[in-house]
Amino acid sequence: MQKFLRTFDLGIFLPTLILLVVGLFSVYSATYLTSSSYFSRQLIYAFIGILLIVSMVFLPYKIIYNFSYLFYLLALAMLLLVFFMGVKGFGAERWLAIGPIRLQPSEFAKIATVLAVARYLSQPYRNINEWKHLAVVFLMILIPFMLIAKQPDLGTSLVFLALIIPMLYMAGISWFFLFVIISPLVTMIVAFNLYAFMGWILLITIVLILAHQKALLKFIVFLMHLAVGAITPVLWKTLRPYQQQRILTFLQPEKDPRGAGYQIIQSKVAIGSGGVWGKGFLQGSQSHLNFLPAHHTDFIFSVIGEEQGFVGIVLILAVFLFLFLYLLYLSNQVKSPFARLSLIGLMTILLFHTLINIAMTIGLAPVTGLPLPFLSYGGSFMLTSCLLIGITMNFSKNRYHI
Amino acid sequence: MQNFGSSQRSSRVFIFTVFILISFLILVAGFFNLQVIKHHYYLEVSLNNVIRPVKLNPVRGLIYDKNHRILVDNRPSFSAALIPAHTTRQTIREIARRFHVDESAIRKKFRRASKYQPVIIARDVPKKQVIYLEENQYFLPGLEVIPDFKRYYPPDVNSPHIFGYIGEVNPDEQKKHPQYDLGDMIGKTGLERYYDLDLRGTKGVRYVRVDASGKILGDYDTQLNEPPVHGSDLYLYMDYNLQKFGESLLEGHRGALVAIVVRNGGIIALVSKPDYDIRLLSGKIDSKVWSSLLNDENHPLFSRAIQSTYPPGSTYKIVAALAALQEGIITPQWKAFCPGYFRLGRRVIRCWKASGHGWLDLYGAIKNSCNVYFYQLGLKIGLPVWSKYSNLLRFGHKTGIDLPGEKAGLVPSVAYFNRVYGEHGWTKGNLANLAIGQGELLVTPLQLAQFAMILANRGMYYDPHLVDHLFNYQTHKIVEFPIKSHYVKGVNSDYFDVVREGMHQVVNGGTGWLGKVPGIDMAGKTGTAQNPHGEPHAWFMGFAPYNHPEVAIAVVLENAGSGGGHAAPVARKFLEMYFYHKLIPRPVVKKDSLKTDSGLNPLQTVPVDSLRPLPIIH
Repeated sequence: MQKFLRTFDLGIFLPTLILLVVGLFSVYSATYLTSSSYFSRQLIYAFIGILLIVSMVFLPYKIIYNFSYLFYLLALAMLLLVFFMGVKGFGAERWLAIGPIRLQPSEFAKIATVLAVARYLSQPYRNINEWKHLAVVFLMILIPFMLIAKQPDLGTSLVFLALIIPMLYMAGISWFFLFVIISPLVTMIVAFNLYAFMGWILLITIVLILAHQKALLKFIVFLMHLAVGAITPVLWKTLRPYQQQRILTFLQPEKDPRGAGYQIIQSKVAIGSGGVWGKGFLQGSQSHLNFLPAHHTDFIFSVIGEEQGFVGIVLILAVFLFLFLYLLYLSNQVKSPFARLSLIGLMTILLFHTLINIAMTIGLAPVTGLPLPFLSYGGSFMLTSCLLIGITMNFSKNRYHI
Repeated sequence: MQNFGSSQRSSRVFIFTVFILISFLILVAGFFNLQVIKHHYYLEVSLNNVIRPVKLNPVRGLIYDKNHRILVDNRPSFSAALIPAHTTRQTIREIARRFHVDESAIRKKFRRASKYQPVIIARDVPKKQVIYLEENQYFLPGLEVIPDFKRYYPPDVNSPHIFGYIGEVNPDEQKKHPQYDLGDMIGKTGLERYYDLDLRGTKGVRYVRVDASGKILGDYDTQLNEPPVHGSDLYLYMDYNLQKFGESLLEGHRGALVAIVVRNGGIIALVSKPDYDIRLLSGKIDSKVWSSLLNDENHPLFSRAIQSTYPPGSTYKIVAALAALQEGIITPQWKAFCPGYFRLGRRVIRCWKASGHGWLDLYGAIKNSCNVYFYQLGLKIGLPVWSKYSNLLRFGHKTGIDLPGEKAGLVPSVAYFNRVYGEHGWTKGNLANLAIGQGELLVTPLQLAQFAMILANRGMYYDPHLVDHLFNYQTHKIVEFPIKSHYVKGVNSDYFDVVREGMHQVVNGGTGWLGKVPGIDMAGKTGTAQNPHGEPHAWFMGFAPYNHPEVAIAVVLENAGSGGGHAAPVARKFLEMYFYHKLIPRPVVKKDSLKTDSGLNPLQTVPVDSLRPLPIIH
């Protein structure tokens, strides 16, 4: 038994299994009135997903490590292929059709990028606080990001950006570098208000004075902020009104009452009407009356909120929280730096999907089309999530070995 | 990885943990706010009522002329629509009966539509019907009467080829422009189509609470509502009175008239006849009217000014002249002898003047439109040079006018002839024909007007455009369009002067003397284009005043006869109206008081026909 637990980490597998089962029930509830085929297909996907997890556990660890660069190049090649022979799915070119099989290279690319970056950073002679190595990491993440953003699949591409900070952070990037990476984003936002901008520049100046870095480097960082602050409003003004509108709508979906805003209003009504205890399984009127669009895919959490209530939501959130914290704890336990960084990256993928998707259903995040791991209907992302969980369980099994 | 100890790592894991915990706490707080604090509010919303966005139609932009006279306006109208989710079988039956449509057609429309959005069944419903429907709405679940707008044209406005008509968007157009919703009215032709995205405005939205049967109970949250935005108004370059006059000149003909301001490309008249009554295609389109327009052998739906291509006839001799001058093949003083016919191999081609023109230099050849001179010139310059200059002078290219469906015409090249006739299948005869504007060459009236503008400006030209500016109601600002100017590269200004002088002589005692406006010094060129459909097409192109040109004009009358005799007077009348705002009476010529025999009276001796049918003698 002891030996089984060491090979088969229930700390990862049990939460995953719980979420998969909850997802099956929710998809059934969301679709049983329209068609039963969703549920049966989701059941098959979940079954294949569990097989995938088990098979990944018994995969030799070395294979994951040795092939990580190859996987990455393969993913890039597939993303390029999508450009030339992609199949239209909902307006954006993101599918690759090989005979009857349709692949979504962007899903595969997420995992491949994490593994490749982890391998690159785990080499003993690589130092993330050197510009050269930092630049390579940025390049490795930004290439797939650009290719996917061009498809255009903005939601999925943002997952790549979300990888940057956690992975660099846990690879030991210095606080100063972290500051240099994050602060321009703040500068861009405060650039629209002169007082806020001046206060922010003052803060930057203090941080720079206190930092132990070369004077020249500090000066360059300072100039960079001034330049970003000066250029951003100018760039904003060169955008056409409709382009500005599109960006504002993305940030504040409720301001777009025709498209995304409608979905969010309906989602909030569904969740809010659920109350503390929920309306009960199969009793959600909002989702069943079809007022909630995409209720079995992106908005599955609204169905759960309506039917299971606040109590159900908190329980499911607790399962997610446990899974993420456990993976984080595991990353501190594994011996190999490659496994450690991979775990951080893989966890971040799931975390980002979960946070953005759930926040979207209550109107706190833009409608990006990111599905909820293990719960949303859809085979491609389900298998990706299971593959990802399988890899983390493999790392867990080999945590003392390598 | 270097310099990263395990204690440092643990502290970073701790900070990451705190970040994740805070994120989840925010989510829990969000759900707490919705499900516990605001639960009653949302429960009430969801219990019996559901929210539906109702789209509010904007007013389509108006079209004005230069003097701010309204040319295209709107009137309110009502559409009858059904919401599929709430529509019963009985409603469908009743609506189908009332509006004389098939029940299956309604069901077919439903299949393409969203379940909770109204599907428009009938537009422009008469007032009596609207009252009946609203009174009986209770018995017709799913029915909705939607306020909308239809196009209205003031009584004396027509010009369907300029304005175009609007109609319901079809699936292909929707695929191309995803911003169109099902059932939207969009521009199908003319300015309505070209400027559709500006004219259509932005729809508003009103959130209403509806009960399970689809009945509207009231507003949901008025703060979320958005008013519609009026579409942009177009302001045309033309004075509509002049356009109207142009249209009256061509009444009863098949043909086109294009007049352009040579200083900026603004179009002051774009006439195409025959046309149709623009009101026939406004609002709902009757299928009988539509098919009768479509099958009319005069093709009234066709905008001849930009979509018909004709052989340009002798007007095109100017192109050959410019090519020969610029390439140094001839000087203006180079002379050729016209005996009244031209021998090409074993064939003999006649000049339009059987007795011959005698010795002519370039000026005389243009003035008298001598075919023999230009046959010889055409053979001297050859096909490659001829097509090069045709393209330089923008033939075979679209002018870029702000109307959809413009044709580019055809300028044959060596490659084209090789493709059509085979490597050696074509002869010098084809080339000689092209030099006088016959053969495969095809141009649109607009292109010829543009050519007149190029000649007037000695090489400068501007993209022709109908719309001067538009008024945007979202920003409450006037949107000006930049005037795009171009230059004919590679033709010397001096050579333009030579052909201009030739064209000056055309209207002063040459073939185009009937096109001369009294008191205005001007230049022009006639053309009489042979075609297989009967009488030749009459052409005239010109510009005025000669020294400081303002306006360029091109006129074509299909199968009317000679250019000098038929097209030139039309251009003259239009220009008289342009310059004097009235027609100038012609001097009455008394035959006996003038010595017609001795050639003093141009009425008798000056030719009005530049090219008679060409019998080819073997």
